[in-house]
Amino acid sequence: MSDGMNVLERVVRQANIRNGVLSSNIANVDTPNYQAKDVKFSQVLGNEMSMTITDARHIRTGSGDNASGEIQEENTKPWADKNNVEMDQEVAKMTENAMLFEAGITLLKKKIQMFKNALKTA
Amino acid sequence: MDSFGVFTVSASALAAQRQRMNVIASNMANAHSTSSAEGGPYRRQDVVFTTDPMASGQDGLTGVKVSSIVKDDSPFKMQYDPSHPDADKDGFVAMPNVNIIEEMVNMMMASRAYEASVSAFNMSKAMFTKTLELGSV
Repeated sequence: MSDGMNVLERVVRQANIRNGVLSSNIANVDTPNYQAKDVKFSQVLGNEMSMTITDARHIRTGSGDNASGEIQEENTKPWADKNNVEMDQEVAKMTENAMLFEAGITLLKKKIQMFKNALKTA
Repeated sequence: MDSFGVFTVSASALAAQRQRMNVIASNMANAHSTSSAEGGPYRRQDVVFTTDPMASGQDGLTGVKVSSIVKDDSPFKMQYDPSHPDADKDGFVAMPNVNIIEEMVNMMMASRAYEASVSAFNMSKAMFTKTLELGSV
């Protein structure tokens, strides 16, 4: 019943973490030697989706605090100060991420609404 | 998990860029100061940024801070002005090594970086507000 909830929760949490990483990149746009970072998001979600729970006693991968994903350094070409943050890309990524987050939240809202409606008719 | 760490990251960038702006303002204000407390003309200053791992140290959150303010050791500009009280015996005055154009460019960069961090802050804030709205469904 709440499988969709788990996936949506995962999406929202991942988007939250990625937002933090992208904010760090923007904060360090002028820091020498700083390496831009990003979270490999789809990869983590892919793992989540392929995991099948066949028994109620299985550990759910969607729960717990281990949702940090894989934070990787970007290997774009560095500037003269050995910093490789591309401001435009970071802002674009951040906007994209915010929209994904919003989609997750909207779907969660809809799901909660559905449960509420079901309860009302009962 | 520190949910609000992202705000600290953006705030650290705002503080760092503001400090950079202060230093640039000092440089521009003293572009013609031929004497200073430590003797000689004013020496141009510059901020050095360094990464600042957040207290929680997780989720890839990295803030920024000003590690030090360094003095620019480039030579002073010598200007011929025998009537100036700080002129040497040949009539030359050592002027500060401040280049106004360079300072203006630095100021624009600081201003843009500040704006970007404000945008990032607002975006995070919008996200958190959306999450809180879940409770009112």
